[in-house]
Amino acid sequence: MNTIILNGSPKGNPKQSNSRIFAEHFVKEMRNPCEIKRIAENDSKELARYAAGFDTIIIILPLYIHAMPGLVMKFIEKLEPAPPTPATPSGPKTIGFIIQAGFMETAQHKYVEPYFRRLAEQLNYTYLGTVSKGEAAGIYMYPKMFKKVLKLISELGVAYEKTRAFDKEIVKKLSKPYQLSSFQLRLLKVVDIVGLSNIGWHKVLKQNGAFEQRLDRPFI
Amino acid sequence: MKTVIITEGENIPASADYTLDLAKAEVQDCIGCWSCWWKTPGRCAFKDLDEFYHHYVTADRAIIVSQVTKGFVSGKLKTLFDRMIPLYLPYTEYSTGESMHVPRYGRYPDIEFYYQGTFVPPDGRQIFVDYIQRVFYQFHSKNIVVKPIGERNS
Repeated sequence: MNTIILNGSPKGNPKQSNSRIFAEHFVKEMRNPCEIKRIAENDSKELARYAAGFDTIIIILPLYIHAMPGLVMKFIEKLEPAPPTPATPSGPKTIGFIIQAGFMETAQHKYVEPYFRRLAEQLNYTYLGTVSKGEAAGIYMYPKMFKKVLKLISELGVAYEKTRAFDKEIVKKLSKPYQLSSFQLRLLKVVDIVGLSNIGWHKVLKQNGAFEQRLDRPFI
Repeated sequence: MKTVIITEGENIPASADYTLDLAKAEVQDCIGCWSCWWKTPGRCAFKDLDEFYHHYVTADRAIIVSQVTKGFVSGKLKTLFDRMIPLYLPYTEYSTGESMHVPRYGRYPDIEFYYQGTFVPPDGRQIFVDYIQRVFYQFHSKNIVVKPIGERNS
């Protein structure tokens, strides 16, 4: 049973891609690491045809406006349904998703997860599931701060290689928090009021000489 | 009432101050560079949507006609959603009990979103409608209507 990992990051600079980092850590400790391909640097139609030759497709993607980036949807449009009866000697083909996002709570992903489930049905694929990780936007900037997260991603990959499933316990750990608790909300509001939440943004805005323009409304 | 229409090739009987036809326009995919947030605030690194941005943020109403594709919005329309992020600030607010983008502009148009196409799984339509409602809630539009194109005048 063979698996292809598709990196759904549309980033122009792949070095700044958190999905790439996730993909590399997912396969890092596998005995036989899966092949990784980047959707952005391939023709969608050809890549869809190529990916259909694998038993399992796992798409690792950033969350853009509560769903997949447009580039990934353009690829999904090219995926053809598998034949309805066993498409591989080991059973039906399988598709799964790993989402990483900027917002902290993974409830933000709940608008696309049911779609992915139904997409698998439309494609006659078995749905492997969707793994969600929030608060991941800074991984490429501060990889050391996310060591634990990346270790979990590697463990997810090892478990997947053994079982061909997403390990429920690891998925649970990665998905926390699903919603912001009242304590977290109070804390975040205080952090916001004292201006701490925007320090990172303001630092880069200043470095780019754009701080004074940060609230500009250029289109009115 | 200033109206913007976004279509994917369909002609709809409504007058518009500006129309973006995604079947004809070549809209670049967002490349996640964040230039619009931290280099040139409010301005995308690509210039292909500058006219659209102006008309959208000064409109009272946006009518969107979407072709359902594999049970979801098309890749082209999804790219447009992605490219609307310069219209919001990079900051996050929590007043609704969840993370939300902070508006950059004082107001955003009401949304009339019409879709055409089929949904194979039984709950596919609801998944689609919930998604669209959420997008424009996140985009701070106050009134959002999502309907099949056949119910446009009902």
